[in-house]
Parts: sequence; C-alpha cells; structure tokens
Amino acid sequence: MSLPAGAAQSTLQNRPLDPNTAAFLQEAAASPFDFHSLSVKAAGDERLKRVVNAAVLRQYSARQQQMLDLPDPDKLRELAGQIKQHAVDHLDYYLEQLASNVQKNGGHVHFAADSVEARKIILDIAREQKATRVIKSKSMVSEEINLAHVLEQAGMDVVETDLGEFIVQISHDRPSHLVAPIVHKDRASIATLFSEYFGTPYNDDPKALTMQARAYLRDKFRKADFGMTGGNFLVAETGLLCCVENEGNQRQSVTTPRVLVSLVGIEKIIPRMIDLAVMLKLLTRSATGAPFTIYTNIFGAPRGPGEKDGPEEFHLVLIDNGRSEILASEEYRETLRCIRCGACLNACPIYRKIGGHAYGSVYPGPIGALITPIFKGLSEYKDLPQASSLCGACYEACPVKINIPKHLISMRRDIVNSHLNGYFERLIYRAWAWAYKSPFLYKVITVLQRLDLRQRAQGGWVQDLPSVAAGWTQIRDMPEPAERTFHQMWKTRNE
Amino acid sequence: MNEAVTHPVIEKVRKALGRRAALTVAPTPPAIDESFTRLIHDTTGLPELFQKRAIAMKMLVEIVRGHEVARKIADFLKERGSKTAMLSDTPLLQRLGITAYLNQAGISARSWSELTADQAYDIDAGITEADYAIAETGTLAIRHRAEHGRLLSLVPFVHVAVIEPRIIVPDLLDFFARVSKEGTGSGMTLISGPSKTADIEMNTVTGVHGPNVVKAFIVA
Repeated sequence: MSLPAGAAQSTLQNRPLDPNTAAFLQEAAASPFDFHSLSVKAAGDERLKRVVNAAVLRQYSARQQQMLDLPDPDKLRELAGQIKQHAVDHLDYYLEQLASNVQKNGGHVHFAADSVEARKIILDIAREQKATRVIKSKSMVSEEINLAHVLEQAGMDVVETDLGEFIVQISHDRPSHLVAPIVHKDRASIATLFSEYFGTPYNDDPKALTMQARAYLRDKFRKADFGMTGGNFLVAETGLLCCVENEGNQRQSVTTPRVLVSLVGIEKIIPRMIDLAVMLKLLTRSATGAPFTIYTNIFGAPRGPGEKDGPEEFHLVLIDNGRSEILASEEYRETLRCIRCGACLNACPIYRKIGGHAYGSVYPGPIGALITPIFKGLSEYKDLPQASSLCGACYEACPVKINIPKHLISMRRDIVNSHLNGYFERLIYRAWAWAYKSPFLYKVITVLQRLDLRQRAQGGWVQDLPSVAAGWTQIRDMPEPAERTFHQMWKTRNE
Repeated sequence: MNEAVTHPVIEKVRKALGRRAALTVAPTPPAIDESFTRLIHDTTGLPELFQKRAIAMKMLVEIVRGHEVARKIADFLKERGSKTAMLSDTPLLQRLGITAYLNQAGISARSWSELTADQAYDIDAGITEADYAIAETGTLAIRHRAEHGRLLSLVPFVHVAVIEPRIIVPDLLDFFARVSKEGTGSGMTLISGPSKTADIEMNTVTGVHGPNVVKAFIVA
C-alpha cells in the first residue's frame, strides 16, 4: 500500500515522540493494560492536574449554565437518547437508506468491516485519484484507526488542521480529550514547540500562536487535493453529513480539495433532518457550554453544475470496527448512542485528576472506560470499569442519557462471571461470603477487624495495611472505625 | 423503500439486531415534542432577537435601510482596511448595486463569476447573502450553488452578509423543517460568528481559519 513517490515529507516521522506521552503510551501498551500504575502516575503530575482540571471544570460549569436555557433539559436529553436509540435499533434499515441516498446525490459509499479495510479503501481512493496533499479535520474515528499516520507512511503530506490536532501532530503527541485534544498541554509547552518547529522566537501569547498556525495552514488549505473528515451525524433521509466546528478548518476540508473522503462510524446515523434540531441543541451545549458552534457544515455531495468550489468527488466510508458486536448485546447497545461530546469527561472527578492518556485508548474518560473494553476486549482492559467512583456525574451530563455507571457495574459483574478477576481474589471473596453468612463468625470477624484497624489508625485514618490488603490503602485512606459497631449502638438504643 | 444496497457489514448489523430479513415497512422515528424542544415561540421581533443572539456569538449586526446598505458596506470595509472584495452573484446584492458603489469608493470589488477559486484566497472581504437566518442561535445559513460559492464566506478575513428580515426563522426546528422541504442543494454552511478556537488553555482567539470579522446587515 504505497503511493507514487515525490509526495511531501512526513511530519510525524521526523520528530521524536513527546516524552511525557511516550512514557504513557509505553505503559498503556502493556498487556494486560494496567490502569492503576498509570493513574497513580498521572495524578502525581501536578502540572497535568492543574491544566486539565482548570480547563474541563470551566467547560463543565459553562455546560451547566447553558442547560438552564432549555425549558426541560432532562426531557430533551431523553428525546435525543430515544432518537439515537431508535436509529441503532433499526441500523440496518437506515444504513441502506443512507447509502442509497448518498449514491443518489452523486457520492460513493464504502463499507469497512474493520480498521484494515477502512485504511485500504481510503488509500486506494487516494492512489486512484493521484491525490497526495491531505487536509484532515478532527475526527475520533480516524484516531481509532490511526489514519493520519497510515496516510503519511504511504508517502502523503497529511496535515491535521484543527489547531489542537495540529499541535498534537507536530509534537507527535496523542489527543487526551474528545473535544479539546491538547487539554493536557500548557501554553508554555506549545510556545516552545512552535518556536522549535517554525524556527521563530518564543512567544506564549495564544493569539500569536494561533495566527502563526493560521498562516502556516492557509497555504496547505490552498494547495490541498484530498480532504478528510469524520462526521457528527449521518442523516439517512437525505444522505448528507452534519459536522460542527468553530475554527473553519473543516469548512476548508470540504471546500478546496478535489476529493473529499469522510470516514464515519456506522452508529452515527439519525433518521431525519429535523432530528438535527434536537441533537444540535444538545451537542454544543454539552461539549463546550456554548449555545451553538460557529460553523455547522451540511455536506456529502459533489459540487453541483457550475460550482467552482466544493469536492468533485465524494466518498463516504462507513466503518463497523466492532460496533456491530456491541449492537448484538442488548445490554450494551445503548452505548452506541454516544455523540462524542466529551461532557462525561468534563464531569468526571477521575478524568479531571488524571487526564486522558491514562485511559490507554483514543476514547478516554467515563465513556472510554466503558467502550474501550467492549471494543478491545474485557480481558485486556479489565482495569477500566474500575476507573470510576460511580458518582453518576457522567450519566447526569450525558446528552443522550447513556447510563454509564450502570454499565460499568455490569462490566464488573462480567469480569467476575468470566473469572477475569484472578484466582486469589475469587478465593478471598468466597471465603468472605462463607464467613459472613454465619452471624457468629460475622460478629467475631467484625470485632477483630475493628480492634486491628483502630490500632493501625493514625489521626483518624488507616493509611497502611499489610500484605494482601496493601493494595487497598495504596491509593486510598480508610477512616478509623467507630468505637462501637452499629449492632452495639442499636442494642443500647433499644435498652 | 430503499434501493438495493447490500453489503456484508449491513448483513452483520441485521443479524446483530436479530433480524433475518430487511424491514419491509419504514420504522417510525420518535415524535418531536415541541413543548420542550422549541426555544423560540414568538414570531415577532425576529430581527432584534437575531441581532441579540448573533452579537452574543461575536457577530456584528446592524439593521439598516435598503438605500444605505451599499454606503454602509463601503464604510465598514474601509474601516477594516479591506482593499479588495468579492460578491456572490445573487439578486439582492445585484439589486442594491453594491459592486458599482464599492468600486467608486475605491474598493476593488468583483463578482464570484469573475474569479477562480484560487484567486479567492487573495481577497480581503467576501460579501454574500444568506438563504436563512436563525434567530435562536444568531446563525446565517447559506445554500451552496454556482452563484453563491463556499469560499466567499470562508477565506477572506472579513465576511459581510446582507439579509432581509423575511429569511429569519425563529428556531432551529423551523430551520430544519424548511430545509427538509426546500432542500439543501450540494450542501449548506451555517455561520454563527467569526471563526474561533479555545484550544490553548481555553483562551478564545478569533480568526483562526475562517473570517475574523463577520458583519450582518439586516435590510429593514
């Protein structure tokens, strides 16, 4: 899979990996994935904690403010969830409708069963069209199949054009948030990066940095012959895509290049144009706390007669990549409603303290903890369902009402049922269950345990348990047990 | 009924949903209850509401009289230092005689039909109409077509839109209902202010890849 020689140099291969991310990625690639050590490491990084916490808290509170504008936010979320659920429940029908409408509009439709097929389809289009200069707008599914890198390796000049993704690309980093990809970077590191990359003096003014990127990318836009996008929504009724953005880089991707390819997950379908009114009212509010995005692009057809801009060719690549397996599970099917707004990340007390890289997947935060094990296998990612305090903030924030905490608990159940939790843990719990069934043993153990813990406690907290229990206190302190047990208190109350 | 599009992926999806054959009757999507989806109920005062909402998104909006429009645009472009402008070949702009006025005022103005797509990148200001405006969100909606190019409102640093009050719809619901009926052409762009980013430590910077200034003149 290679393209004609002479294509521009790749940016990814010329730069070393961002050292901070490199360490994370290396650990995240360990098999099985070890969330525990990654999260401890991330939570110990004060700079990371500070920038992520500040940024996402701001989006979170802006969201809460914006939701007040809606007459009944809860009912609207319910309806949005129903629309998405209806679409996935009838996905076969809507996929056919969509595909036939895309063709009617003069576009081409491709289906890809997995990432290998999707990459091949896209490379084949590029080769056939002799296109080598790619402007790519931000898309999570392209991260999922590592598309930019694959195109670069085939010799194409690929530029990520969203400012955040551009910074990710030139620093050879990875996005750490669904909507704000460089939320883990502070402006000093971006200024240093730009100064090195462009060979200009250090300037950490966000406006100056943005203008520098604008000037550089403008030339790329003008000369591009291959546009790549994802898609927020696929409208079955019209065969068109709807995408939202604020920067205008995606408008460039769908306007200047001769060839436009959109790679979208099959679950992004909604039935009708009017459904967009419901979805868009929630998407931006949930994502950034703004009532609407600067640009909403409705596209997905080649240019009409007499038009001098817009793509001459349009290809829609619909990718399954594990989604149909989720579809088959009635229990977890609901997770396919996700519109990738990132509200659950912003709401999550865990995400705020560790950032996105610790989740070891392109989909971080509560939704990532849920879908990564489904996509990539529970045995590899059995730590992720534990990456939650089950406080429910993610469910409350979700614009399509995916009950994330409930599913995380179900997944913990699956871990136990499929014996993924290790022989020793199962033995302990079996012994515990056996002992606690007997009132006598229960009392004896409680008394002994309380005495022991009270002795270990310092200043009201138990911080250091020995041997098998050490894991418990490694990442959390336990309050000192009360002087008397509940049973004892209950007795004296009755007397 | 759909035209026959089959693929193993669709078959796999169908099987996952527990169906043996394709549905023969179109499924009915959930009804949209306007009591909690509609945000704008009032159909009066839409230009003022549009103005208020668009200004909140950092768009500049001015309500003007028809005979003033050409002069107002010329003044605005001069103030912004724009020396060249391009205009969509649309009826309202032609009727208002904007091209001639701008050229007299010393701004080199050319219509979209006279330009190549590449030339558009070197022009300071783009002047367009809009096909709809949405009061709820302060949004301009443009349907792409030969006389109304996409680049007009995208590559110049200044975008000026001239709209009439009759195109303003109250709510996103009204907009999408209209578009469902009237069609989208080869695509549409919805614009709610100057291009912006907040990627660097959540600092908002305008004028990223699209215009830094968007000004709407509502012709009363």
